[in-house]
Amino acid sequence: MSPPTTTGRRSGTGRRSGTMLLIALVAAGMAVGILAIFFWVPTANCLVPGVAQGQPCFDARPDYVQHIFYMHVPIAYVAYLAFGVVLVGSVAYLKTGKRRWDILAHSSAEIGVLFTGLCLLSGMLWGRPRWGTFWTWDETLTLTFVLFLIYIGYLLFRGLAADPTRGARVAAVIGIVGFVDVPLVHFSMVWWRTLHPAEVIINPAGPQLPASELVTMLFLLAVYTGLYVALMLLRTRLGRAEEALAEAEAALEERPPPRAHVGITP
Amino acid sequence: MNNVRKMFLLAAKDLRSEARAKEIAPPMVLFGLILVFLFTLDFPPGAGRAPVPGPVVGAVGSRELAGAFLWVSLLFAGILGFGRNASTEREGNRIEGLLLAPVDPAALFAGKALANFCYLWVLEVILFPVFVLFFDVPVGLLVPGVLLVALVVNVGLAAAGTLFGAASQYVRARELVMPLLLFPVIIPLVLGAERLTSSLLTGAGLGSQGRWFILMGAFDLAIVAIGAVAFEFIVNE
Repeated sequence: MSPPTTTGRRSGTGRRSGTMLLIALVAAGMAVGILAIFFWVPTANCLVPGVAQGQPCFDARPDYVQHIFYMHVPIAYVAYLAFGVVLVGSVAYLKTGKRRWDILAHSSAEIGVLFTGLCLLSGMLWGRPRWGTFWTWDETLTLTFVLFLIYIGYLLFRGLAADPTRGARVAAVIGIVGFVDVPLVHFSMVWWRTLHPAEVIINPAGPQLPASELVTMLFLLAVYTGLYVALMLLRTRLGRAEEALAEAEAALEERPPPRAHVGITP
Repeated sequence: MNNVRKMFLLAAKDLRSEARAKEIAPPMVLFGLILVFLFTLDFPPGAGRAPVPGPVVGAVGSRELAGAFLWVSLLFAGILGFGRNASTEREGNRIEGLLLAPVDPAALFAGKALANFCYLWVLEVILFPVFVLFFDVPVGLLVPGVLLVALVVNVGLAAAGTLFGAASQYVRARELVMPLLLFPVIIPLVLGAERLTSSLLTGAGLGSQGRWFILMGAFDLAIVAIGAVAFEFIVNE
């Protein structure tokens, strides 16, 4: 075994075991987080901002449903983080033309769409018992849904692009437009709802959380960040492998076919 | 020759070839008419005169809905024109010729957007009177306010339509992809136009709606700036 191959393999293995370690940590953290959500965090305290601390949400019953927030909030945060990374990757790709930035943006968009879907789903599961409806045209819900549509369009575009290089460049432009659109859609939604008051108005003033709630929430935010990083490491590795495969296939096609039938056999 | 002059020349080229071929504006206008007609079919004659009686969901009268119908019709009809205007450059590789000419891609983008801007005005000049007739709207309420709204909408819509029209030329199933990309992005513009038109139709006027103009103006600026900078990444080989 020659030394360069060994070093190459060792560093690859090192990176891989690092990813595996991160995945193991995330899995353990998720288990601890779920235990904390079910057994540590008190139930009566309401997480809806604006409702006084220690008060039940909208009725006197213990508010078990609110526990979904410990998952819903980190999921939503990862979704927005992922779309932010799409913007960074897209701008960097257009500036440098380096493939790894495009792989970064593409991977992050996939994970972002996944988490936006999970965010909408977990929000609906909370909304049904609390608001009495799965869906309402609240500005935050609508903004999240519009982002979901924009980035599904982005992924669809990438899937249908005829020429991968140009597809990547155009997708980068879409990724930039999509993120620049976020504040504009946000304000249009806020004003839209101001003219049509919603049943539930979420107050931006946050409540003082007891330690157990705050710690659980921050812990799960960290766990979900780890999950995002782990998924990104796996997905970008897959992206690089796809790239290498495409290059190998292209090289194979360019090589002239073996000419055994014309050769003079000695 | 500066870029502004090039932009006008490119737009004039598009409009001249359209004046000869007549393949963009007439189908656009006809489709817009069909849509306005389809939407008004749901309303009995004179329904525009008074709000829908009784407690309707969200207490929306037909006057308020009319604004939404108008802009959705315009949007759908506009999509036809944007797609056609972009695909004429791809057919026969005409875009290659334009790229070989000493033209800044930003000027190319602006020229195409200006042509789309003109098509939208043609569409609106015909659709607005038809809309007034079909929905039985007092003209005094709509004009001149709606022209200001249309101006703000047309800038952003033409720029976004040019950008996504060009983008969707390089995928399979391009006619399907373009609305999927365009519609979610232009939501602030369409929402603003509907809100402002409803405000006009219910007699509230535009006086208190300045923030919508700021929002839509911000959208126009952002999309024109991105289009001018990013167009070269889309069209260049």
